[in-house]
Amino acid sequence: MGKRITIDPITRIEGHLRIDCEIEGGKVTNAWSSGQMWRGIENILKGRDPRDAWIFTQRFCGV
Amino acid sequence: MDFMSVIEKQGVSRRDFVKFCTGVAVTLGLPVSMGERIAEAASSPKRPPVLWLSAQECTGCTETLLRTNHPTLEKLILELISLDYHETLNAGSGHQAEEARLKSMKENEGKYILVVDGSIPVKDGGIYCKIGGQTVQSILEDMGSKAAAVIAIGSCASWGGVPSADPNPTGATPAHEVLKNKGIKTPVINIPGCPPNPYNFLSTVLYFLTLKKLPELDDQGRPKFAYGRLIHENCERRPHFDAGRFANQFGDEGHRKGYCLYKLGCKGPETHANCPVILFNDIGAGAWPVGTGHPCFGCTEKGVGFTLPLHSPARPKYITPPALFDEVLPGKEGASSGIKSLATGVAGVAIGAAGAAMLTGLGKKDDEKQDKEE
Repeated sequence: MGKRITIDPITRIEGHLRIDCEIEGGKVTNAWSSGQMWRGIENILKGRDPRDAWIFTQRFCGV
Repeated sequence: MDFMSVIEKQGVSRRDFVKFCTGVAVTLGLPVSMGERIAEAASSPKRPPVLWLSAQECTGCTETLLRTNHPTLEKLILELISLDYHETLNAGSGHQAEEARLKSMKENEGKYILVVDGSIPVKDGGIYCKIGGQTVQSILEDMGSKAAAVIAIGSCASWGGVPSADPNPTGATPAHEVLKNKGIKTPVINIPGCPPNPYNFLSTVLYFLTLKKLPELDDQGRPKFAYGRLIHENCERRPHFDAGRFANQFGDEGHRKGYCLYKLGCKGPETHANCPVILFNDIGAGAWPVGTGHPCFGCTEKGVGFTLPLHSPARPKYITPPALFDEVLPGKEGASSGIKSLATGVAGVAIGAAGAAMLTGLGKKDDEKQDKEE
């Protein structure tokens, strides 16, 4: 198994992103990306008036 | 290079800069002459280091500062303060970004301003938001305890916002509560809004910079210069409310005529903010939700925004129809239609009552007409 590199946080993007990669002989052999933040907006939407949905879904991302 | 040459290079003349600072002074409710002092403080070579911590956020708060229509505002922001750490704006990633943060924290301990956007999840050990492997809760506790002041920007950081909406799946908590629960006494200023108005943020920073103290805050930690009044008090559609002229449905006659949006669920009567006064995006009149024909949904107010259904009627805090206003010239007969002159003059009462009956009648007619159209 080669070297493992973690880049966290990834900047100049919206949100909290983390990248992990495995490197062998100067080449990336495996890589993972993961969002480091969760708000559960789907769960918040349950049971609400459908006319209210946009207020929440619009705020997934403010960019 | 000094501050003035930097911003002049970016196309902002000294005259424009002082004009901007005077605008800020007026927003703050300070005398116009304070503009010069603000300009002086803002252009001093010792600009306050600002560290920006992002928690459960959507970056809308950052965008509102950077994407204003006014071409110079973003430059002013970035030149007015020394922004040492900001996840979305940092050039370096990973350990480089973390090093910049820790270095500035160490060098400026007790002096930097910490800006927080986004709520802080505290459920399940805070695992729902992490930066560099640490929970944002632990980062905030560390950074908050060493800051001169904390500015919570946006509704999420100020009172919980979207992530804290029922059933609050992640235990989303506002910044001031996280610090308080840990016994950290750093003062916190809340600038709620979704998005918040960038001028309220900038004005707060410049106030702190110029007068070396925090602006006066209300019981929810919001600067009074910006959140001291209800939207309803300064709303351009307020005369329609007082006269009983309402939009009953989107697109109906009342809506097309720009009548009051109370019956569509406008939360202006219970929401404190200066939106109708300073507007958004520097594009002139009407650039705020009610101005575009949509009811206010109360984003700056805990217990209103993201909590009450959008189209349920607001619970007005103060109902002051014109007949109950204080007299303009107390004691001078006939000078105002205030309650006293109405009570003393029988004729006044009769006229007042007739007027009120007429208004009510007209309102009813409009409603009936609308009902038929529906």
